[in-house]
Amino acid sequence: MRIYEDLRAVQERLVVAQRLVIGLLLVLLAAFWHLQVLNNRYFLELAESNRIRNVPLVAPRGLLLDRAGNLLVENRASFNIVLTPEHAEDLDATVTRLADALQLDEAAVRARIAARPARFRPAVIRADASFADVAALEARRLELPETGVEVVPLRAYPMRSAAAHALGRVGEVSERQLEQEAFAMVAPGTFIGQAGLEARYNAELMGRDGVRRVVVNSRGAEVAEAERTPPVDGPPLTLTLDASLQAALERAFAGRRGSAAALDPETGEILALGSLPSYDPNAFATGVDSATWRALIGDPMRPLMNRVIQGQYSPGSTFKPIEAIGGLAEGVITPQTTIYCPGYLSIYNTVFRCNRPEGHGSIDLRRALAVSCNVFFYQTGVRLEIERIARWSRRFGLGSATGIDLPAEASGLVPSPEWKQRVFRTPWYAGETVSVAIGQGQLNVTPMQMARATAALAVGKLVQPHLVKAIAGRPVEWPPAQDLGFVPEHLEAVREGMCDVVAPGGTGWRARVPGIEVCGKTGSAQVVARARLQRDGAENELIRPHGWFIAFAPRERPRIALAVLVENSGSGAEGAAPVAREILAHFFRVGEPAARPTVPAPAAAEAP
Amino acid sequence: MAIDRRLLTNLDGPLLLAVSLLCGIGVATIWSATKATAHAELYLKQLTAVGLGLVGMAVVASLDYRRLADRAPFFYAASLLALSYVLFFGPRIAGTRRWLLLGGAQLQPSEFVKLAAALFVAKVFAESRKDQLGLADVVPSGIAVGLLSLLIAAQPDLGTAFCLVPLFLAVALLAGLRVRAVLTLALVGVLAGALGWNFALRDYQKSRIYTFLDPSTDPRGAGYQTIQSQIAVGSGGLTGKGFGNGSQVQLGYLPARQTDFIFSVLAEEMGFVGVAVVLSLYLFVLWRILETAQLARDRVGAYLAAGLAATLGFQVVYNVAMVAGLVPVKGLPLPFLSYGGSSVLASLLGIGLILNVRMRRFAN
Repeated sequence: MRIYEDLRAVQERLVVAQRLVIGLLLVLLAAFWHLQVLNNRYFLELAESNRIRNVPLVAPRGLLLDRAGNLLVENRASFNIVLTPEHAEDLDATVTRLADALQLDEAAVRARIAARPARFRPAVIRADASFADVAALEARRLELPETGVEVVPLRAYPMRSAAAHALGRVGEVSERQLEQEAFAMVAPGTFIGQAGLEARYNAELMGRDGVRRVVVNSRGAEVAEAERTPPVDGPPLTLTLDASLQAALERAFAGRRGSAAALDPETGEILALGSLPSYDPNAFATGVDSATWRALIGDPMRPLMNRVIQGQYSPGSTFKPIEAIGGLAEGVITPQTTIYCPGYLSIYNTVFRCNRPEGHGSIDLRRALAVSCNVFFYQTGVRLEIERIARWSRRFGLGSATGIDLPAEASGLVPSPEWKQRVFRTPWYAGETVSVAIGQGQLNVTPMQMARATAALAVGKLVQPHLVKAIAGRPVEWPPAQDLGFVPEHLEAVREGMCDVVAPGGTGWRARVPGIEVCGKTGSAQVVARARLQRDGAENELIRPHGWFIAFAPRERPRIALAVLVENSGSGAEGAAPVAREILAHFFRVGEPAARPTVPAPAAAEAP
Repeated sequence: MAIDRRLLTNLDGPLLLAVSLLCGIGVATIWSATKATAHAELYLKQLTAVGLGLVGMAVVASLDYRRLADRAPFFYAASLLALSYVLFFGPRIAGTRRWLLLGGAQLQPSEFVKLAAALFVAKVFAESRKDQLGLADVVPSGIAVGLLSLLIAAQPDLGTAFCLVPLFLAVALLAGLRVRAVLTLALVGVLAGALGWNFALRDYQKSRIYTFLDPSTDPRGAGYQTIQSQIAVGSGGLTGKGFGNGSQVQLGYLPARQTDFIFSVLAEEMGFVGVAVVLSLYLFVLWRILETAQLARDRVGAYLAAGLAATLGFQVVYNVAMVAGLVPVKGLPLPFLSYGGSSVLASLLGIGLILNVRMRRFAN
């Protein structure tokens, strides 16, 4: 029988150890209760945000169609080469290989990675990649598993620079725009309309982006799709533009600078709207490169400016029909009034010249319009005085924006004593009225305003010019034309004069279109004083006057009204009237194959 | 080497059952943690290790623990040799030298050193007949164990190295070391820690401690493990996401999910219920081991059981607390559950020693 050791002290101490173990495990159990039961919701959300990633599905922007349904702006599929850095095992090596495959600078690749909006979102290394780039990448697919090719819809303008100022362009949303209410729902990096109709109708055209909720693993790779909200395409916009007339308009300028707008005088539908020089909005579709942007911004001829609504010029003699309506309505002249023109008007201690130094002799309204006699309208203006000239100008829509559905429209200026006092704090001089009477002086108009005023001369109504006819097939309700309440005889008298403008012996004979009775008016907007023009005009083209021509046709039941301005072309008669003629000829299909009677082709020619 | 029939009747069946259950849960959890990966067969390797471990356990249980304790100096010397060999000639894997290549298998000597240390410490303190121990009484054995610990820390494997500290302290306290001496030791430890922080700790080790203090400072680096583990645990809820269905596990957000973080796999997929079951099993195992220490017929047996309880308890508590984000991340496997042949084998051999002590409590 062996004697057992006395282990009582040891056994007592072991009881402490047992309590310690129970205590520690209870603490742990409490910690897990805290995490798993009390804070379960919080950690579930974290687990979900780990697991689920939202991938936006970009909605294609709405198409732009002309009035006949021809495609003006569309979307094409483009390839973006993307890289998700989180997927890369060795990012440095990947950057080197990718830069090599795409023949890019490594620094450029890194800059693209740094510029992406969020972690785990692929960085676009090359937008709108060529097939060659995509092929180069595919060939090295095994070396570059973390890169991919994304197909994204890209804005495309198949007519390139045609109607660029009406259609507009897209560009990445700017930081300043992101702060605005209108772009509250727009994510950084999104392309939005930045000019023209693209900007004005951006909210409609964008449609609604969809989203894919995908399950991703810890390396960010997609494992499964949890949910899909498909994108809602932007609705198509049917425009009032006529693509073929638009092309004719831009052809008619033949490389000259200027702008023109043609509209339906009854409805205000704009049939063509061109500003030249133009630019190719396709260059902006993937984000314009800085060299192209600097060239466009720095170009002294300002190709980005929409001259139709942003160019402000003196109307010159195209103002005379408007003043004539005012003079007739106010009773200071009648259709029969004759005024003697000695070739100048000497008034207020100043001599105001007529355009014909030797004078027109005794002349009435009709003839004064046809030959653009300044003295007749000096006298009319003096009798009307500036307040009434201003009032009648405004009735024709001058001095305020037309409200066309394009952004950044200029309002022009109708001067008045009140205006001069407010802006310059000097009184109105009577001599200024004489200048305004022939459309010079401070009077400033946009070609769009003149096109609308011409429509008012054609039909006696002030229309709301607009470019969009229907959105997603539903007609847009535009404010109806506003009857100006002109006396028919007065309108008739002015139209007779405008008809004579285009007749032989009129200043605008170059705008004559065979078989169509065209009413028009020439004008020239002085750029510098007459003396300087005579001294330097020969060598400096930019100080020559701008040529105007306004017209509507046919005389009975007019279907088109237009205003043409050709910058520095010297005179409306020589510079602008021929452009108007080309547009009108195309509109009425004069001298074009489509106007000829169609002869049925022989059956044999059609056989396959 | 005949086994006495009486010994078998005293075999601790409930402990064996609890340990087997833990090993089974470990194999199943490893299967779930790896089924979606390229290492889907790891659970089979673990199963093999468990089988080997059970055989080894039987062998260890059949040898009288007193005879094994008598050979403690030999085991200690073998430990020193193995650790030194690994440190100088072992293969370098992921920046560390922890493994010994034996035939086709990789062995981690440090896991087995824990057993040797337990035998060594039990033997040393059993021979001391004092009722009260002062600091001077424990210094020689402390240095001996500290040497093992330093060799493991040099691999580097801080977690396993630290496991020897509770083992030594528990047995020393049990043998009568005064609490005041322990406090003195703790003071020395703090000073050593301060020196170590400045001169010995590597940057990755410092960053682990920094990150523990504030995981959000490094959400993609070292703090990532803690954050993802907490998400896995917390999102598991009361009843879990279902076996094989944890998104944190299956989508790969959870790091080291079949090894050091296996408990968060369990917590995510089986919820608080699973956590409570497994912690209860551990509590039972530890309770049973401490009971064995109380029932032991001699000091060597009591000290051996207590030392093993201390190192096992420390590993379980530290690993589970780490999974819950309560302590810094250290590479420390969870006994019986974590994937790893050496860990499972050594843990089961340790249980063999416990069975051994309990079986022979009446024997002469």
